[in-house]
Order: sequence, then structure tokens, then C-alpha cells
Amino acid sequence: MHQDSLWGTMSYLAGRFGHDYVMSYGVTLRIGVISFIIGLLLAILLTMARISPIPPLRTAISGYVEIFRNIPVLCLLLFIVYGLPEVGLTLDYEPSVIAALVLVSSAFGCDNLRSGINAVDPGQIEAARSLGLSFGGITRSIVLPQALSTVVQPMVTLFISVIISSSTGALVPIAHNELTGLVSQINTKEALGIPTFVVAALFYVATGLVIGAIGRIIEKRAVIWR
Amino acid sequence: MAMTPTEAALFEAAGPRARRRILIGTIATSLVFAALVVWLLMRLDANGQFDPQYWDLFASVNTWKFLGAGFIGTIRASLSAGVIALVGGLVLMFGRISGIAPVRWLATAVIEFVRGTPTLLFIYFFFLVPSQFGIHMSTYWMVVIPVSFYASAVLAEVYRAGVQAVPAGQREAAESLGLGRWQVYSSVILPQMFRIIVPTMVTQLVVVVKDTTFGYVVTYPEMMQNAKVIVANSTSMLPVYLIVALIYILVNYAISRFARWLSSRSDVKILVA
Repeated sequence: MHQDSLWGTMSYLAGRFGHDYVMSYGVTLRIGVISFIIGLLLAILLTMARISPIPPLRTAISGYVEIFRNIPVLCLLLFIVYGLPEVGLTLDYEPSVIAALVLVSSAFGCDNLRSGINAVDPGQIEAARSLGLSFGGITRSIVLPQALSTVVQPMVTLFISVIISSSTGALVPIAHNELTGLVSQINTKEALGIPTFVVAALFYVATGLVIGAIGRIIEKRAVIWR
Repeated sequence: MAMTPTEAALFEAAGPRARRRILIGTIATSLVFAALVVWLLMRLDANGQFDPQYWDLFASVNTWKFLGAGFIGTIRASLSAGVIALVGGLVLMFGRISGIAPVRWLATAVIEFVRGTPTLLFIYFFFLVPSQFGIHMSTYWMVVIPVSFYASAVLAEVYRAGVQAVPAGQREAAESLGLGRWQVYSSVILPQMFRIIVPTMVTQLVVVVKDTTFGYVVTYPEMMQNAKVIVANSTSMLPVYLIVALIYILVNYAISRFARWLSSRSDVKILVA
């Protein structure tokens, strides 16, 4: 240990690694946000295919969802980083992490969207059809508004867990370390102990709480839209 | 894959034109998927991935023995973490619903902190910090403790949702019979809560199994770690990672299916934690 008191360690930590922490947090956020956005867009496409009346398409998407919901992120990441170059597909480390998180989050996102759609009572759709609404009209004014409002909460949870899962990137040598990787790096160089971990954990927890709070605001709005 | 009632309601009974379109779509997507598979296989072949040198290690019993040992390591760590979380989650849940405000705040803070922090960060913590204080810890506990932390925090919330799902009349009836707080929980609320949350608890086991892959970091011999060792001692990367990924997917898929079966059999929903 370099300093005896907790305060001494903290100020040493802030002075020596403060900048690194902020930079790493930036990398963590960047990976999390990019992965979640691409994952969400992909999830929308997958869901459209998943509920289409074309059997092979439905089966294929179900298979995709089961595969990427059940694979551990680390296992997928190692496959992308060390397995794919064997077939001539080499991605840089950060894109590899993003690719792994996109595959996993799109599977969970697709599941969320589908259960949101299935939460809509089929009687409402039948009623809308008997009133003469077209398929587009039913989707736009009956199904999507209700599905989206029930889907906000699970999607917020998904976003937080994507940011948390970006820590798996610590296990491949990302050039600009993300938060968890930075902490392990600091501790292999200098044994600064508990505070290094607490600071990083607080970054994660605070991010989750902020996203959760924003999610609740969006959810309230979505309910009003109904 | 069968359609749910809502999905079936979305589409009208198809007329001749729609039926033809669905048929064309079916043929087209089937062709695209077939082409995709062929392209994938050709790509693998072009890179020599079907060469026996990459696959013949799977003909050796030792490879499977070693992977099997890893599989047992994964199961052992998962079950231990799961059992610890059953108790840890219950303690946290009682703290979370306690009538004493500071206890409630503390439990809430612990739950939020653990749920909001990557398990990997805790793994690094137990990997790097105890040794700085001269404490020796086995790699087994370096995996099991962090994984059970996270599972406890999640289970605490699952338990709480389960307690809330027990009808309020049950508690009122128990109290009016003169049962104490402890008895109300132990003989009326908890037995019903467990029935409600069993499927949800089983789905959480998937997360636990996934988290044990971080044994890779601390060299605890679970399946991911053993795969790393096999890869380091051979030339075949892709086949090993592919096989291991398949095993994980199958195990977790089986657990999720089991949870869904439990849920449909006992007619209780899987709660979202």
C-alpha cells in the first residue's frame, strides 16, 4: 500500500489515475451505448421477421434468439476474438466486444418486443379488424402503442445490463481500457486495493440509477400516449 | 414455431393471393438460408477448418475427460453459488422489507450496489485484493463468492416480488389467528411465495451458469478455463470454442425449457427481476 489512510489513497488515486478513470468510463459508455442502439435496431428487424407468417423465417429467428440468449457473453467474445480469425474474419478488439454485445442484446431485445406484442389482447386486434382497420392501421394504432409502453421497462433493464456486460471487454486487450479492465490493470501495477474497485463500482451503479430514472420518465410518458 | 393467439390474430385468414405470397416467401427464405449454410461451409473449407488436424483431438478420450472435468467444475460452482444465493437472497429480502428503517436502507443499498456492478469487477476484487492483505483464497471461492453475491441480490428482488404476489388476505388471516410475525412468514407466506417463484429461480440459474465462465480469469477449472487450456495446447481454436459454446447453449436452453415447463405446469408466471 502506498498511503496509510483511506483519504490518502483516494487523493493519490484521483491524482494519478483520475484521468484514466474518466477515459475508461467513456470507453465503457461508448461500447454500451453503441451496442445497445445497434442491438435495439436489429431486435426490431428480428421481431418483424419473428412474427411474420413465413414459417422458415420464424423458425430461424427463434433459433437465433435461443442461441444468443443462452450463450455466455465471454464464450461468444472469445469465439469472435480467437475463433473467427481462423476463417479469415479478424475484428479489432473493441468492435469484437460490440459485436458480441449486439448479438446478445438483439436476442434479448427481440424477446422483450415479442412479449410486448403478445401482451396485447387478440380480441382488440379482432375488434379493430371488424371495424375495418387495415393491417398497417392495426399495427400503428392498436398493437405498437401498447407493446411499446409495456416494453420500456425491460428495455431499460437490458440497456443497463449491456453497459455492465461491456466489462467482459476487460478480458481482451482493448487498447483504451474500459472501466473494469483499468481497475485490474491498476491493481497489477500497484496494489491500491479496495478504493480502486469502489470507485469503478460507483461509476457503474450511478450510471444504472440514472438510466433507470430516465426509463421511469419515458415509461410514464408512454403510458400517457395510450 | 407455433403462433401465439395475438400473433395469429394479427394476420387475417389468408386468401389465395396471400397464400401464394406466403409460399413464395417460404421458398425464398429457405433458399437464402440454404445458400447461407453452403457459403458458411465453403468458407470453413476454404480456410482448411475441416482438416483432420483441427478435429482429431475430439477423437481422443482425454480431450472429453478434460472438458468433462470442466463441465463438472461449472456445475459445482453454479450449484454452490445457487445454494448460497437462496439463503443470501432471503436475508437481503427480509432486510429490504424490514420495519426498521436503517436496516431497510442498508439492504436496499446493498442490493442496488451489487446488482449495478459487473460480476467481473467482484471477481477481480477477490482475485487481486485478498492477496494484497496476505489472505490466501482458493480459485473456487474467487468464483463462487462473487457469482453468489449477484445472484443473492437478484433473488432478493425475486423473493420480494413473490411475497407481494401472495394475496394480502393470507397475511391478514394468519395475523387474525394470532400468529406472530415469524410464524406468519414461515408457515403462511414463504411456502406460497416459493411456489410462485420456483420457475423464476430456475431461470436465474442460467445467469449463474453464465457468470461461472469468469473462472477463466482466476484459472478455476470450469469449462471455459479448461477450453482455454485445450486451445493453448493444440492448433484448433475454432472447433474447441465452437463445441464449448454449443455445450453452454444446450445446458442453458435445457434450464430455460425446464423453467418454462415448471411455469406452465404450476400455472405461475416467470417474474421479471
